[in-house]
Amino acid sequence: MIGQTTLLASAFVVPFGMLLLCLWPQILNRMPSLLAFAPIPALAAVLLVATDSSFAIGSARFHLTFAMDRPGAMLLGVSALLWIAAGAYASQYLQNRPNHGRFVVCWLMTLTGCVGVFLAADMVGFYFLLALLTLGACGLVIYHETPSAWRAGAVYIGLALLAEAFLLMAFVLLASEIPGNSLLIRDAAAALPTSPQRDLILALLIAGFGMKAGLVPFHFWMPLAYSAAPTPAAAVLSGAVVKASILGMIRFLPLGTALPDWGTAIAAAGLFAALYGVVIGITQRSPRLVLAYSSVSQMGFIIAIIGMGMLTGDGRAALAAAFYAAHHVLVKGALFLSVGVIAATGSRRLWPMLLPAAIIAVGLGGLPLTGGALAKFVADELLGDSTASTIATLSAIGTTLLMLQFLRHLASTASQDPQATANAGLVWPWLATAAVSLVVPWTLYLTVPRGTLPDPLSAAVLWKALWPVLLGGALAMALWRWWRSMPQIPKGDIIVALDGGVRAAVTWGKALQRTDSVLRQWPAATVSLLILTVALGAAVLAR
Amino acid sequence: MPDANLLPDATTTDGVFLVLAIVLPAAGVLLSFVLGGRYAERIALVLLPSGFILATIILVDVWQSGHRLVYIVGDWKPPLGIALRADGLSAAMMVVMAIVFCAVAIFAYADFGTRAGSAEARAPFAFWILLMAIWGAMNLIFLGGDLFTLYVALELLTFAAVPLVCLDGRAETLQAALRYLIFALLGSILYLVGTALLYGSYATLDIVLLSRQIRAEPATLVAAALMTIGLFAKTALFPLHLWLPPAHAGAPAAASAVLSAVVVKGSFFLVVRLWFDVMPGMLGGAGAQLFGALGAAAIIFGSVVALQQQRLKLLIAYSTVAQIGYLFLIFPLALDAASGQLQGSGALTGGIIQAISHATAKAAMFMAAGLIYAALGHDRIAELGGIARALPMTIFAFALGGVSLIGLPPSGGFLAKWILLEATVATGQWWWALVILAGGLFTSCYMFIVLSRAVAPSGAPLKLKTAVPKYQEAAALALALTSLLLGLVALGPIDIIEVGRPDSIMVGSR
Repeated sequence: MIGQTTLLASAFVVPFGMLLLCLWPQILNRMPSLLAFAPIPALAAVLLVATDSSFAIGSARFHLTFAMDRPGAMLLGVSALLWIAAGAYASQYLQNRPNHGRFVVCWLMTLTGCVGVFLAADMVGFYFLLALLTLGACGLVIYHETPSAWRAGAVYIGLALLAEAFLLMAFVLLASEIPGNSLLIRDAAAALPTSPQRDLILALLIAGFGMKAGLVPFHFWMPLAYSAAPTPAAAVLSGAVVKASILGMIRFLPLGTALPDWGTAIAAAGLFAALYGVVIGITQRSPRLVLAYSSVSQMGFIIAIIGMGMLTGDGRAALAAAFYAAHHVLVKGALFLSVGVIAATGSRRLWPMLLPAAIIAVGLGGLPLTGGALAKFVADELLGDSTASTIATLSAIGTTLLMLQFLRHLASTASQDPQATANAGLVWPWLATAAVSLVVPWTLYLTVPRGTLPDPLSAAVLWKALWPVLLGGALAMALWRWWRSMPQIPKGDIIVALDGGVRAAVTWGKALQRTDSVLRQWPAATVSLLILTVALGAAVLAR
Repeated sequence: MPDANLLPDATTTDGVFLVLAIVLPAAGVLLSFVLGGRYAERIALVLLPSGFILATIILVDVWQSGHRLVYIVGDWKPPLGIALRADGLSAAMMVVMAIVFCAVAIFAYADFGTRAGSAEARAPFAFWILLMAIWGAMNLIFLGGDLFTLYVALELLTFAAVPLVCLDGRAETLQAALRYLIFALLGSILYLVGTALLYGSYATLDIVLLSRQIRAEPATLVAAALMTIGLFAKTALFPLHLWLPPAHAGAPAAASAVLSAVVVKGSFFLVVRLWFDVMPGMLGGAGAQLFGALGAAAIIFGSVVALQQQRLKLLIAYSTVAQIGYLFLIFPLALDAASGQLQGSGALTGGIIQAISHATAKAAMFMAAGLIYAALGHDRIAELGGIARALPMTIFAFALGGVSLIGLPPSGGFLAKWILLEATVATGQWWWALVILAGGLFTSCYMFIVLSRAVAPSGAPLKLKTAVPKYQEAAALALALTSLLLGLVALGPIDIIEVGRPDSIMVGSR
């Protein structure tokens, strides 16, 4: 067991140790080439450590607990794969670029937070690692230091910290509901359904995790951040990092208990986001923005799965959502990496590069035999034959359309030099991620003991997956015909409204400042002294 | 109700350390006057670390024995004599303040050290003496067992703190110092009048004796109100903060660090002593809500005004105004609605951790700001570009201090916030929770503004006015790290703060 504990701990201790080693400039300079190795202990832990093993740090009365549960292990495993590939990509990407040090530090912070969140079993540890994740991710978003990157970073961290404030309140409320001193997430989720504060806590949790997951209307940070971040960072942010919020929902929400009202609300919000992301996404003209809106849509869909689980009290939703999310980790990561690869590839060499991207992109829409089809198949069991299922099919059609749109924009971003080829250090990590995204969902499906293999391969299932893809393709043809009449929607769509809010806030701030300068005049201060004395005297006397 | 303090009030073993904690700084000040010149600096640099060791011994002693240390001066028992008492609260505060003093001393060595061969100047001489005087006054505030001794300590603190503001003698700092002095004296008068009223009613000012006899009668309550408002004025609780921004922003960096981190905590500590130890049952719901409302207003106003500052030191000063607000939220949160008593656990622990973590973080931030000022020759936030590359360690220290102020784990700020939020849940006062969380968000906004300016590239190549010594940066970083890792005390001795509190003794004696 000691070996297992060490392995589990090393998953986040190793990246954290590498982060500390960055204090020495000599090591910091070499660190870019080591980034790909940092997530390997996490992968090893997933493969070798038995599920449900755990360990704690601290005193008997208060300690941090880390454990591996099944959804966490699934997401951690695929995230580690993506982190390895993206790390390899990043080491090539950073050559001939300034500010290595800052990138590496932020990268390792984000990695430590990401791995840690997947393993954290108590609320304090979870919150701490989530905060670390946020700070690191913000640093990655602003890496390029362009005005739009600063704006994206500011919006990202603002919203993330707001979300964390909601979560902190929820955690404190949960801590007061748990009998005894425990701070374990498991106990919190168990105490939640019967708690008198249930609705408040659920609202806080959903608001907090929803903001972090980019649930509409809190999705506007996604297009900003993913278009501003460097390519490898965008890959891990959209793939691995954002799944921390999904895992949070899976762990904290009482999926085993039927809460129809909340389930309906969450499922409806998720499905709305699934469609909204598609609709706005097809109006975008940059491949990264299309991918970002696709993330809005896909995250919405995952949240809808969780909502459907709450609706019926079906505990299987946890694994289904984690499975769908795991597939999204790899595909979205690979697609973001492909944006960088294609941009460095000339027209001569374009097709060998574009084809794998096309397969996994359409796979996201549910192309049969890809991981995407499998993920949708698993989700379908939960959605049943309800309205949700119809919307899911609509979203599959839309996603296909969106992905074809992405491929079209992607092809147009190819390098001007027809002979150009992307560096092998960029191509291999990308191809590896793409291949893994096709293989791993099947492996996971086989290891996770539910369903059997023949099911997803029956003709009926294949057809059910295929026709939305075909219809999406047909719609794409039609869309490209009418493309010119498409409205232009700025990235982040509703963030325009936020600007108005900022102006109002500035006005209020100025008013407060004026009040403050009045209060700091001598007459005002002495009068306040007098008033306060009288007020406090009256308060204690009238008691 | 069983008597709160049945333990015999007699000198305990090791009680002599308490005397030492007060005599040491006083001896340092006197010796400096006698020897003069550069000896002040040497004396301070020897005494401050020994003060830290002494405070640690006292803390360990209190922790291991589980009782407070007492020393009856001259064996004259109160009400005739004076008692010095160290409970967990005061011992913990003493240790942290000693850490801050040591770091400030290291930091100040660069600015106020007299090198061999250079001429002696008045400002360094004054600085070291004042530093030791503040240290002695703070120790007296933590240990003093009767309200008049505490008044003396408070006066000593004010008179040592005011000159620190105007060490450089510029007209604007003199004006700021005068503002501070006059307002602080108003506070002193109120406190003294209150003390006199209490003496008239009970013929004793000893905290333990007073807490046994205290009755809710008009004279007592008026006295308490006067003393409290006086202390508010000295703590610069909103809206009585007129003196704080110019004083803290205008002082030299080392002095700002002491003023913001240490001096305002002295008067806050007395408010805690007064209401939690002398008259825990007197505040009542309305009074507690008034305390909380002032704290909340301080958080909101301080943070929003900090957001709009153009100068770094002013921003940090307004951030102090905001952070002081958190300290006063403990009063409504510690009030037990059923018994009407202020409870000495939970919220109080959170408030003290907030005070401690703010002390370390804010001192680090003022030091960092001082280094930035020294390096650039200005502290205009808009023109900080490139400084992160020039002084990475300084900016790192500043950022870590900010992490603690925002309240991200594992900082002390987080632990404090968690405990305070728990108290809001336990007492059902959700409105304070809103303020606590909003304050954190505002703090992150102004930290983001400063840090984004600092890491942005500079237009022209940055020319530093002076080279910043590494040990100054290290001092700031050490304090920031202390604040960051303070949250880890939750893994260990967090109960220390409750040792020797009247109500915890009460539990023990039942």
